[in-house]
Amino acid sequence: MAPRAEKMELEFNNGTGGLIASLQQMLEFISGRIPSGADAEDILFRSKVIITELLTNAIKHAGKGTTLFEIESSACLSIRKTDKGAPLYLVTDNDHPAGSGSNNKKLISADPLNALFAIRENENRVRFTSEESSMDDFLSVEQVMEHFGLLIIARSSDEFTYTYHNDTGSNVFSVSLNWYAEN
Amino acid sequence: MINISNQGPKFITAEVTITEANLSNSDEFKAELVKLLDEHNKIIILDLQELKYVDSAFLGALVSALKYAISLKLDIVLVGLRSDIRDLIKLIRLDKVFKIYNYAEEAQFAVNKF
Repeated sequence: MAPRAEKMELEFNNGTGGLIASLQQMLEFISGRIPSGADAEDILFRSKVIITELLTNAIKHAGKGTTLFEIESSACLSIRKTDKGAPLYLVTDNDHPAGSGSNNKKLISADPLNALFAIRENENRVRFTSEESSMDDFLSVEQVMEHFGLLIIARSSDEFTYTYHNDTGSNVFSVSLNWYAEN
Repeated sequence: MINISNQGPKFITAEVTITEANLSNSDEFKAELVKLLDEHNKIIILDLQELKYVDSAFLGALVSALKYAISLKLDIVLVGLRSDIRDLIKLIRLDKVFKIYNYAEEAQFAVNKF
């Protein structure tokens, strides 16, 4: 049975000083709402790495204001981050149009370990996906990328999107985790 | 941030003394690793048992330092990882490029056979 919908909000000050306390507060909320039968250890691990990267993203890109984190527990677990920093280049990129077909899937980064893609779903929204690379082309560690934030979130989530809201000038990263693994 | 705890002919064992490794200290962390490689010219066995929190900035610094070590024909070997940090490393497949051992002694034994 799906758990009762509950929500928490946290305003993060975009500074490193509040990182751990903010992370712990959100994980405590999640920990108390994991439905029976779900793999609690897996949910908490994935939540931890996702929230960690969203906090890091806020410090790096959200500017001097604050960032709103919303955690919602319902039929799935939703983690949402909203800030008013500059829009992500992927929705301002005219070479990467929205629409159907393969040309709306853009390779963001790739190395012999992983590939990260953004699928532009409409003018203001992209969905991130990742794939493991084959390792066949692995020649040296020099080929390995050094930026892992979006990849970690994409790899840990069941859905990961970014939406830019023109009307409010807000960036929204939205992550969903299913409580139960799909068969 | 990094203290040398042991040395052998081929390696130094270095303990990371911070508990939180994030973008506020990742540049300094990388600089200390590079300095150790330059000064000692030995494989670094990096003991991370004190670390409780890492982010992508720290992992990026670690990969960057590994690239530098490899360019010197050296290496950085990881030991003492908490299970969640080890799982994070596996999640993004960095276990394919870092040698990882449970304990420093195990890594020292392996390094001596390199």
